Amino acid sequence: MRNYFFLFVFIVFCGTIQAQETAMTALEIASFKEKVIASAKTTKTIKTEFVQFKHLDFLANDVKTSGKMVFKTPNLVKWEYTNPYQYSVIFKEDQLLINDGGTKSKVDIGNSKLFKKLNQLIVNSVKGNMFSDADFTVSFYKSGKYNKAVFVPKDKKIAGYIASFELLFNKDDAQVYEVKMVEPSQDFTRIIFSNRTLNSTINDSVFSN
Amino acid sequence: MIRFLAISFLAILVLGACSLKTTEGLRQVPFSKSEVKNPYFSNPEIDYVYKAKITVYNKNFGGILIIKKIGSENHRIVFTTEFGSKIFDFQFDGDTFTKLFLAEDLDKKFIVKILEDDFRLLVKESAKVLAVYESKEDRIYKTQSEDKFNFYFLKNEGETLQKIVNTSKTKEKVEIDFTIFEENIAESIAIKHRNIKLTIALEKFKEE
Repeated sequence: MRNYFFLFVFIVFCGTIQAQETAMTALEIASFKEKVIASAKTTKTIKTEFVQFKHLDFLANDVKTSGKMVFKTPNLVKWEYTNPYQYSVIFKEDQLLINDGGTKSKVDIGNSKLFKKLNQLIVNSVKGNMFSDADFTVSFYKSGKYNKAVFVPKDKKIAGYIASFELLFNKDDAQVYEVKMVEPSQDFTRIIFSNRTLNSTINDSVFSN
Repeated sequence: MIRFLAISFLAILVLGACSLKTTEGLRQVPFSKSEVKNPYFSNPEIDYVYKAKITVYNKNFGGILIIKKIGSENHRIVFTTEFGSKIFDFQFDGDTFTKLFLAEDLDKKFIVKILEDDFRLLVKESAKVLAVYESKEDRIYKTQSEDKFNFYFLKNEGETLQKIVNTSKTKEKVEIDFTIFEENIAESIAIKHRNIKLTIALEKFKEE
């Protein structure tokens, strides 16, 4: 009897989750895209904090790290982890500038198509403006709280690393507030942004190692 | 005379080359303990999470190393980038090694073999003792590992595992150093190779 009760609760619960998120209509997709592109166009700089959760199915708890991210148009990005360790990566032209707790290094990504793609993905996902990317099949969902775009890679090599890539957008300002990367094994990484400042002045020197 | 000198010299060279540095000057002692244990990855309740810094021939790579005991002789070992993308995902079940995932660029036989051997040495929980040596500070337990040997250095006081050295008959191959502040928890770990320029430095994530 008890089991039936739990089964009932489970079904109702799952039912409500599904009811919360629905696919967008063609009209909704068009208006949503327009809003995101307009918002991305007026965004010159972004400063935000983030928390990252790495989920592996065999772990008791997700691996949690956190830090700050700075973006400056057209394509300067700095990811800086501050907890529980110091680590930063600057995406600059065809290079990654890495500072791993004081150990500095440079990675040339000019020749690596995969790295370039991942780099572009990171830059574009920060802005949210990646719907025109021919390398992905995109689908759109909505709920009371957010709009969601799900990207599935067409390229086999990328698909070996990422099964899908989800961006969650605020309904009001069309900014990305969560990124979720799902691996082929269904393990995933979630990055949740908070305390975002738009269009403040950011000096180029921030993007040097 | 010259011949004698030459022979002596040669003998020293040959003998010198044959003697293993690890047990040099140590006294072999009788022992009662049949197994030596590595407790640092033995609690299935704990997610062992480390920041990793890898140096290969002066090139640096960073990442996160995650180790979890998921069965009586079963460990999962996952290495990801700081962004969370998986680089490798291995499973050790007793003597069986399974490669669940490995980034394409690293999927080369000799790399897999190095990673397999290093991480097996790191998580292996117990080994049968062949001989025991003693120094002022340590008791050193010699164990067999296929055609090689592992030497476990335990501090005399409290029997805390400090170091494991993997050797051939004559040469040290890999050394793992543990820094311990809390019982059975390795705060930092250094895996150093003697014959290739590879070191892996691990720092345990701090609890919030």
